[in-house]
Amino acid sequence: MSALAEILFGGLFQGSLYAMMAVGLALVWTTIGVFNFSHGVFMMLGAYVAWQLVELGLPAAVAFPVAVVVMAGVGWILQASVVRPLIGRPNIVLVVVITTLAAGSLIENGALTIWGPRSKQIPALIDGNATIGGVGVSLHQIAIIVITPLILAALWMFLNRTRLGLALRAVAQNEDASHLVGLNVTALYGLAFAIAASLAGLAGIFMGGYRFMSPVMGSDPLLKALIVVVFGGISSISGPIFAAYLIGFFEAACSYYFGLYWTPALLFGVLILTLMVRPEGIFASRSRGLA
Amino acid sequence: MNPILTVESVTAGYGRVTVLHDISLEAGRFGNVGLFGPNGHGKTTLLRAISGLLKPKSGRILFDGQDVAGLSARAIVGTGLIHVPQGNRLFPDLSIADCMALGAYSSRARPHEAENREKVIKLFPKLAERWRQRVRTLSGGERQMVSIGTALMSHPRLLILDEPTLGLAPKIKDELCASVMDISRGGVPLIVVEQDIEFLLELTQQLYLVNHGAVATEIKPGESLDHGEIMSMYFGH
Repeated sequence: MSALAEILFGGLFQGSLYAMMAVGLALVWTTIGVFNFSHGVFMMLGAYVAWQLVELGLPAAVAFPVAVVVMAGVGWILQASVVRPLIGRPNIVLVVVITTLAAGSLIENGALTIWGPRSKQIPALIDGNATIGGVGVSLHQIAIIVITPLILAALWMFLNRTRLGLALRAVAQNEDASHLVGLNVTALYGLAFAIAASLAGLAGIFMGGYRFMSPVMGSDPLLKALIVVVFGGISSISGPIFAAYLIGFFEAACSYYFGLYWTPALLFGVLILTLMVRPEGIFASRSRGLA
Repeated sequence: MNPILTVESVTAGYGRVTVLHDISLEAGRFGNVGLFGPNGHGKTTLLRAISGLLKPKSGRILFDGQDVAGLSARAIVGTGLIHVPQGNRLFPDLSIADCMALGAYSSRARPHEAENREKVIKLFPKLAERWRQRVRTLSGGERQMVSIGTALMSHPRLLILDEPTLGLAPKIKDELCASVMDISRGGVPLIVVEQDIEFLLELTQQLYLVNHGAVATEIKPGESLDHGEIMSMYFGH
């Protein structure tokens, strides 16, 4: 019983974080058609901005939302500086891999210079612990498990029920036709990056509440999010969400039965298998488009 | 009548390749305008330059007196100059309803959304039956109807159609031609690129033969021409 509870809980928790990260990657890929390698850095920066605001004396309830908004701005600026100027180039996918990696590296080292290498922690969403099904869990983790699906549902509603969301989905499918109905394609690209960055920043705040933060804290979640989007397919946002939870459960089960040591190898085994059997991802249709 | 659209010595192309060489023409003085000519000679490029998808290297494009050359596509949509591109690729994973909502995205078209939707449904009753269906699941003719319907939702003052009947079965094509005639009768002036000269002769009052990125011949109202003459324009003498 407690084994099952532990795997279930671990899977839901890790899956939530992966989903928040992977959705942002998918959002940027579907709208702009580029892969953002500075996504992990957004996560780190969100956590550090939140930490700094708390350090300045703001209560967490104010600091966290402000940090998320700041991250939206960071995402927009990054898009305007290292992605937008390259749009229209034939080899944009590869070039943007390089520019976003470079920007990520700069920001990462900038954070190291500003905040130093000493590990930091930000306040938990809710303090305290509980025991569920024989497993001791922190209320912070429970809060993440509950909040994440709400945020993802809100994102889904935004994309599918509002005119602005409709415009984002349209840009994802046909850029020329989007211009011809009068959409502001540049602004929509910025918006996609801003949403992705704020979700990553929020994931960073979640993570900084239960684990020590460091300037490189985003690289492992980025790697996991990469596995998730390859596994689930990057051409929609619902695919990566389901995939994130599946990978979360898989990881939890692996570390329970085989130990942490084997878990990355098994995860990459799944990745390789997916690429061999169904390279477009298990939940993907063969086209690009948000839904 | 003053021309609603005047293209003055426009030069445009892609990268180092120049496609349009100093092209000039007028639309709206005599009614609808037809463009024809061999493939790869700049008709689509001209339309892309007019609608702002492509920035002209030089020249002026006057729409209702305002120079729109170099404006963004979005700004041009805002003036009521609406372009239906070739090949009905559109938004494959959106529903017809979504496409219509997008058509009315500009602030100019938004107040007329309900009224324009009525018009589109009246013109293409088939679309109403498939309102919630994804565009990719529609037939070629239906997709073309969605393309044109989306443009009508943008409340056009001038409608540009790029080969609306391309690749359609003859029966569907006739239906679509009739609908395009209806749009014209509804008071929206048209610029139509078309390979089907019979259809152009019926629909338009003024024809331009576009060849090597320039106007090779202009045919004004009253100047008749027969099939043989057009064929010789296409294929040389």
